[in-house]
Amino acid sequence: MIGTRAFPVHLDRVLLTRVARLEARLLWRNRTALFVAAGMPLLFVGMLVPMHGKRIQGVDAALLQGTGHLALFLLFAVFMNLATVFTTRREDGTLKRMRGTALGDAEILGGSVLTATVLYMAQVAVLAVVLVAAFGGRAPADPVLTLAGIAGGVVVFALLASVVSGITPTTELTQLTVLPVMFACMAGAGVMFPLGVLPEVVQQSLRALPLTPVVEIVRTGYFGRDFTAHGVPPAVGVGGGWVACLPSFAILAAWAAVARRLAARAFRWDPRRS
Amino acid sequence: MENTAIRVRELRQRYGEFEAVAGVSFEVARGELFALLGTNGAGKTTTLEAVEGHRAAQSGEVRVLGRDPYRERRAVRPRLGIMLQEGGFFADLTTAETIDHWRGFVEDPRPRDELLDLAGLREQAGVRARQLSGGQKRRLDLALALTGRPEVLFLDEPTTGMDPEARHATRRTVAELVRDGLTVLLTTHYLEEAEQLADRLAIMHRGRVVASGTVAEVVGGHGDRVRFRVPPDVPVADLPVLRGVAAGIEVDAGHATATYTLPPDDLQPGVYGLLRWADERSLALPGLRVDNASLEDVFLSTAGAES
Repeated sequence: MIGTRAFPVHLDRVLLTRVARLEARLLWRNRTALFVAAGMPLLFVGMLVPMHGKRIQGVDAALLQGTGHLALFLLFAVFMNLATVFTTRREDGTLKRMRGTALGDAEILGGSVLTATVLYMAQVAVLAVVLVAAFGGRAPADPVLTLAGIAGGVVVFALLASVVSGITPTTELTQLTVLPVMFACMAGAGVMFPLGVLPEVVQQSLRALPLTPVVEIVRTGYFGRDFTAHGVPPAVGVGGGWVACLPSFAILAAWAAVARRLAARAFRWDPRRS
Repeated sequence: MENTAIRVRELRQRYGEFEAVAGVSFEVARGELFALLGTNGAGKTTTLEAVEGHRAAQSGEVRVLGRDPYRERRAVRPRLGIMLQEGGFFADLTTAETIDHWRGFVEDPRPRDELLDLAGLREQAGVRARQLSGGQKRRLDLALALTGRPEVLFLDEPTTGMDPEARHATRRTVAELVRDGLTVLLTTHYLEEAEQLADRLAIMHRGRVVASGTVAEVVGGHGDRVRFRVPPDVPVADLPVLRGVAAGIEVDAGHATATYTLPPDDLQPGVYGLLRWADERSLALPGLRVDNASLEDVFLSTAGAES
């Protein structure tokens, strides 16, 4: 019934923030979701401690992994969180109820995305501070590049979340349906271990995962070195990081386009029971 | 300003092979309460969803306040109030919080206290939605639909699941709103609700409108009934023909009951003819009763007969 009209573009900023405030309140009241979205990252930060002092790819291992976490947190705060929110709202009928108001579709969904983004950005900010304070990190060499990668990641994973919610019958099952993307991205995006240790063919296919380009862009912007290359990443000059990351941005854009198409087909507003 | 609030012409909606709505037409004037009646699966909710702009009309025309409610949703929706049959609530928000958030979604919201009063939930302001009873949730539903001071209100089985008191209160609220100029499109299972509230109504069956008009018009076409038990010593064949109408006979546990279904204009002369006939034969007619047709009769004979 919804077809390609699922994501019209009209956005009223006041209404958008009001939906986002509602979402924030609901997240705060739902402690399980809050823990998954906000607590999990804490565990990952703890994992950095034993890595501090070792060097991989010419940088401190804790910093290398920590910058990977900047991207990885997308999976919890944005992807899993939104897949659960969209599925729950649909199944409990609140999505349809909100659609009965003057709110546009973009404001209803965008409000959830905004809250998830704020939560994620807060985690990014905290982690960035922790990297500086505890692991000898620095201010990003090209913060705009890092933020651009993060923003692209938000778009892609918010869209992927709406696709996953569309194929998930109940809230409980979201924990299963998010797993393929979660596992693939956790294991294969170069966060847990550098992709350089793998055979070239595998490396190239893993670069096509939606999280990999985010990791590459974030690290390139943070360290000022070309992290899309292998071995010890060469330093890049002003603007050089952007050039080096063009293929990564292209992969992100492709994911966004594919996910948007899939979302327009799969996303549902009405509960499945009817 | 156009006097027609809702216009539906030849609306058709299919789900695969199944034609849920098969050419429905009706109009609702401003300030009028129009009821859509029908059995489950008659196509009421599908029709309502097209009028609300929740789904596009596959064929035919739907206009609400002069606009296409689906394509021009942005322009139309702020002027509508929608009470869904099954709208969900945010389980962890209280009644007051729910209302407050809703007030943020509309342009010129009614005050929170007014909405709590409309819902009759002032004492439940601090209760979380998950703890409200089914009837209280329906009342909150109604209040949310009214938050933005709508010009047109859609009520999809608004009193289902309410206890009699809440049902009564809801009907009174709706009647007051209509008196103040609100246009309402209502679906309901309760025929007395339609009889009590509706200025006009349509009965749907299998995707079509099978009867429509004012309650009097719809009922009027269906005849009044004269009924009595046939005295044991009177052969059925001897019963009179009244105004050209022969008796219908039902036999139950050895007793025959005669029923004459008469057009309203023939009721009085028909009854007179029957009484004279009985008087001439010194017969008593046990259980004699005269009933006007009710909406229920019409409903059962049109919509209910085959299902």
